[in-house]
Amino acid sequence: MAAIISGTGLALSPAARLLLALPKALAIGAFLFSLLGLMIASFTDAGGGASLALYHDLLNSHATRLAIWRTLWVATMVTLICLVTAYPLATFIARSRHRDLMLILVISPWLTSLVIRTFGWVVLLGNRGVINQILMGIGLTSEPIQIIFTPFALVLGLAHVLLPFMVISILSVMMQIDRRLTEAGMSLGAGPVETFFRVTLPLSAPGALSGCALVYLISAGAIVTPLLLGGLRDRVIGTQIFQEIFALYDFPRAAALALILVVTSLIAITPIQIAEAWLRGRISRI
Amino acid sequence: MTESALTVRGVSKSFGRVQALRGVSLDIGHGEFVSFLGPSGCGKTTLLRIIAGFETPNAGEVLIGGKPITHLPAFRRPVGIVFQNLALFPHLSVASNVGFGLAVRREAAAVAKRKIEDVLALVELQGFGDRRVHQLSGGQRQRVALARALIMQPDVLLLDEPLSALDLKLRRQLQGELKRLQRRTGTTFVFVTHDQEEALAMSDRVAVFRNGQIDQVGAPEAVYRNPATRFVAEFVGETNIIELQRQDGRAVLANLGGITMPAAQEVPMTGLVSLRPENVVLLPADDPSGVAAKVADLEFGGMTLRLLAEIPGCVQPIRAAMPAERAPAGLAVGAPVRLGFDLASAAILPGAA
Amino acid sequence: MTGMALRLGLWRTLNVTLLLVLPLPLVIVAIVSFSPDRFLSFPPTGFSLVWYREFLTSPDWMRVFGISAAIAAVAALVSCTFAVLAALALDAAPARLRGICETLILAPLIFPHAALGIALYGMMNGIDLLDGTFLGICVAHVILAGPFAYRPISVALGKLEPAMAEAAMNLGATRQETFLRVTLPLLRPGMVSALLFTFILSFDEVTVTLFLVSPQITTLPIEIFHHVEQSTDPVVAAIATFLVLAAVLLVIILQRTVGLQLFFSAESDEKPGGGAA
Repeated sequence: MAAIISGTGLALSPAARLLLALPKALAIGAFLFSLLGLMIASFTDAGGGASLALYHDLLNSHATRLAIWRTLWVATMVTLICLVTAYPLATFIARSRHRDLMLILVISPWLTSLVIRTFGWVVLLGNRGVINQILMGIGLTSEPIQIIFTPFALVLGLAHVLLPFMVISILSVMMQIDRRLTEAGMSLGAGPVETFFRVTLPLSAPGALSGCALVYLISAGAIVTPLLLGGLRDRVIGTQIFQEIFALYDFPRAAALALILVVTSLIAITPIQIAEAWLRGRISRI
Repeated sequence: MTESALTVRGVSKSFGRVQALRGVSLDIGHGEFVSFLGPSGCGKTTLLRIIAGFETPNAGEVLIGGKPITHLPAFRRPVGIVFQNLALFPHLSVASNVGFGLAVRREAAAVAKRKIEDVLALVELQGFGDRRVHQLSGGQRQRVALARALIMQPDVLLLDEPLSALDLKLRRQLQGELKRLQRRTGTTFVFVTHDQEEALAMSDRVAVFRNGQIDQVGAPEAVYRNPATRFVAEFVGETNIIELQRQDGRAVLANLGGITMPAAQEVPMTGLVSLRPENVVLLPADDPSGVAAKVADLEFGGMTLRLLAEIPGCVQPIRAAMPAERAPAGLAVGAPVRLGFDLASAAILPGAA
Repeated sequence: MTGMALRLGLWRTLNVTLLLVLPLPLVIVAIVSFSPDRFLSFPPTGFSLVWYREFLTSPDWMRVFGISAAIAAVAALVSCTFAVLAALALDAAPARLRGICETLILAPLIFPHAALGIALYGMMNGIDLLDGTFLGICVAHVILAGPFAYRPISVALGKLEPAMAEAAMNLGATRQETFLRVTLPLLRPGMVSALLFTFILSFDEVTVTLFLVSPQITTLPIEIFHHVEQSTDPVVAAIATFLVLAAVLLVIILQRTVGLQLFFSAESDEKPGGGAA
């Protein structure tokens, strides 16, 4: 009997492995095939030959460039807001005696669809929403204030919807930090704040970075929240793609936009993931 | 210097319904090496953490150099600590680990650098500054943890079972190094361990903990030769606990053929006697003063020979130990022996059987 | 000392406030859902369960609910099965090959959903079997859920100790018996975790699914989205509150049974700083 090297005790031949991997391979194949479809559709011109005409068109269009810029801006703002808000919150939860109760509060909304959480903001910020009704009710204003369908509403709504992702990302790493390390810091004279910056922050940074990548990606690729809170006038790439298909029936244009979105997102995320990998590498696995 | 380096006064601590410490008091002098010895759950680590400031006592106070520190937060106490699992910072190099406390104090870089080099030399890790923690062996990590605490020149250095994860040879080696280090720096050491050999070997004084209280504090020899309670007698080294009985107006070792305790000793009429195995000797077969017994078990431990002997009519087996070199020939399980008891070295214990 | 106590109090207040403000939009939706008014009015004029009744007795809503649940169940089971098979195939495989395969398996994670949606739409458009059908949405969800099924299972597999399998074989079990009696039971927590995550992921999915629904087959979140977009139907408030309460219940049950750890360990199982000696 061959030496057992794996925990399962199974000794699988390469043929068996190939067979087992087949279903998953098919799924991945379908995924890659769909991406290929995007590339084929967007890199051909009306005559059927390969061409960059579509991209040329799009990238020269003022509306598209504005949408791209807006997408980057929204995604970055949301990521920063989530980062700054989630770090203190995660630190607070990690050390709290009522940690489980707080976690229930953070995790429950996370398990519901983002359309539901976005709906909450629609109810709050709409022209006939709760805030406006209160303001008009107390008489502070006679006309509803335009809060919804502004960049502010979109960023606020997205940040709120995605905050649990960031909190959980940071907490995942923070909860694994040995408690003795903060005690060691204190025994060497570092107060609570100093210990946080010298010990907890460096060790939880990989989790925060992974959270940033996640939040950025979801923000950049969002459609539902931008439609409900941002409106159709100020478009992001997601809503633009949606329009191209469902209003204009222009698949190649939508495909090109999608690939632009993919590339810009990858450019934004790659430095974050490299930084995260580098940080994880520097932290010794004792 | 009249005030002690560390004073613990009436410290009690409970966790929920569990009483971890019951009114513990202790004085430790400057430059002393004191061990807290006891089984798990006896409260020694809890007391250490209270001294360090990671737990607050329910009652009592802690003073360092005569000054109360009970209400000081951990990061303001002049106390250093080496943790059981070392707690070295995985994201920092060896030099940064060691210099952490100095960086917190905003010490000038040049000064800090020199101090780090000096203390690394002290623990014989010169040149290791740039290494990362995972590149070090267990013994090397120990020394980094020590260096990190010592560089702060604490009034008291606490060590929480720092050697328990190491193998025997390495442990012995580091025990010696720790002792030398302590002598050289003159720092007051408080060393928590469950290994009584370790405690006896390294300490100026040993405090034996049982169930949240200190049963006895004293120099290793005193604790070993004159245990104050049955627990101390049994925990520190091995011993035979024998009941004393009244017989014809004299105190007699129960069930051992009526051997009487020497009158010279202040012996209560009833009670317990602790007799160490090395004080049970094997007498020649024809010696009438001995007690007849049969070997029930033999253990060869390199330097020492241990044996368990059964005395006919006696429920309790007797342990004997002697240098293996001097053991008589022909000893085997079942062999007859004659036991002699060096009662002058016995300790009288309070309490009934 | 009081300076520190002040800062501590401020820290606590800030965080507790944030925690209480977080569920505010959903709390307001809940309040609105109990109002009998036709238009989302605040404060509500009364207390009524009319909208809940409408949701739970409406054949249309219940049908959509059922479709969502069915798709989620299928997607969870299929993606987890695929993931277990793939994880077994890659277990103890040569490191470089494994690295490449795992990168491919996790690849969907780095693609924005808007792009994934249009890509999958493009692939399935025109294929009758998949275009706007139950099967088509299931296929898409299996692709989306893939990485989320693979990660917990591969982590669980990695934590298996060879000593367990060796002990079983030493006691007479064949490789297959060992796998069935020892390996699978040990993998159970990871598999349950994977099933849970993928089910929830599929049930809640909206951005990609937006491109794949048809008049005949649509999911609950998509229907909610359409209703919110087009009207101010208060039924949506009731549906939303219903789903939120279901989520809260689920989390509480999880907390009391297996603990909330499963939400946190899929990231990395390496401890910075080392555990206790």
